[in-house]
Amino acid sequence: MIEVKGLQKHFGDLHVLNGIDEVIHDGEVVVVIGPSGSGKSTFLRCLTLLEEPTGGQVIIDGQQINAPGVDINKVRQNIGMVFQHFNLFPHLTVRKNITLAPVKLKKMTQTQADAKAMELLTKVGLADKADVYPAQISGGQKQRVAIARALAMEPKYMLFDEPTSALDPEMVGEVLDVMKRLAQSGMTMVVVTHEMGFAREVGDRILFIDEGVVMEQNKPESFFANPQNERTKSFLSKVL
Amino acid sequence: MAQWWEGVTKTFYKCFIKDNRYMLLVNGIQNTIRISLAAACLGVIIGFLLAVCSLSKNKFLNGIHRVYTDIIRGTPSVTQLMIIYFVVFATVNWPKWLIASIAFGINSGAYVSEIIRGGILSVDIGQTEAGRSLGLNGRQTMFEIVVPQALKNIFPSLGNEFITLIKETAIVGYIGLVDIQKAGDFIKSATYEAFMPLIGTAIIYFVLIKLLTFGLNKAENSLRKSDIR
Repeated sequence: MIEVKGLQKHFGDLHVLNGIDEVIHDGEVVVVIGPSGSGKSTFLRCLTLLEEPTGGQVIIDGQQINAPGVDINKVRQNIGMVFQHFNLFPHLTVRKNITLAPVKLKKMTQTQADAKAMELLTKVGLADKADVYPAQISGGQKQRVAIARALAMEPKYMLFDEPTSALDPEMVGEVLDVMKRLAQSGMTMVVVTHEMGFAREVGDRILFIDEGVVMEQNKPESFFANPQNERTKSFLSKVL
Repeated sequence: MAQWWEGVTKTFYKCFIKDNRYMLLVNGIQNTIRISLAAACLGVIIGFLLAVCSLSKNKFLNGIHRVYTDIIRGTPSVTQLMIIYFVVFATVNWPKWLIASIAFGINSGAYVSEIIRGGILSVDIGQTEAGRSLGLNGRQTMFEIVVPQALKNIFPSLGNEFITLIKETAIVGYIGLVDIQKAGDFIKSATYEAFMPLIGTAIIYFVLIKLLTFGLNKAENSLRKSDIR
């Protein structure tokens, strides 16, 4: 369970997050939407401390992770992250991209990790790409590898930061399919996205963030059919 | 024409063959290569440590990097070499080539640190974030992810620095070491010929650096393996 209490983040005078309180339950798929610059990516990045909160608490499985003395590396092993720009390691083959962390962190031997990598690559439909370098595959394939890389650490939570925003339109579907199957397998997911179809179909709950606060949240059906907040209505009228 | 050619072969014989003078050059080449290699290794080590200092959040370490590069860049390498040999190592009985290597390594380190620093900064921050998000610590991310990519970016500049270094070592005559330059100089004094020994010296440096450039290009191409689309 991820608990967020009074989360604040400012960069100098700029208040990006203005006190967010949220609980994400195990097995839940929470989709975060909102206009650009609203703070939704910052919110997501605070959950794994890629962004250090300037106030409030992030509590994962009962442990406050933005407290002094916490071994953040240990915490992060349990939280997979998928980035907008994939951030695959260009100097390593697809297989090495996936096995690097589990082997380095002594979670698996190289043999075990290789087997795990093949299993995950098969799941995302890229078993034949194990030995190529990231530069040789398409954007959609890169993002699927990035998902496999995060899953190799066998995390309990998966965070997605606009995973399809940098993709050509015809490649969006293949990535969303992988995410959908992951959601169906019971993974706890927080997804920042502009894909309203995905939000409606896969999300258990939609968070609408604007001006650094959660303006509105609801189950997808009611959220899209019956938005309450004026900002939500205006946002949805633009994107739907 | 024939007369001219005869003149050339005669001078050539006088400068390089007679009294085994070529041995001077052979020893000189050995010294130049030995000093350059040792200095390059030391330079890369010092350069890497300084780059880490300059990229750290620690103000004191930043200061070390700044003062070091300031001093090295602000003084001639001949002066540095002579200070290291005649002052710092004055009472130490180490071989001259080793002391010269240390001097050039210290000098080169300052320039290498800027190259490495630039190379590390040129790696996208997303790479670090991806590494850290997997649970790797800062050091693991640096050595497994950032440095290998930075290496590819800095390799050409590092090669350049090595070439500069080889040419810089031509001043070791100042502390009485016989490198290629000094060997040519000795031949010049012994034979009262200027043209042949000096052009010979230039050609030896040129060939040495040409060979090195060839090797560096080969190595760079193999480093670019992962870029092939």
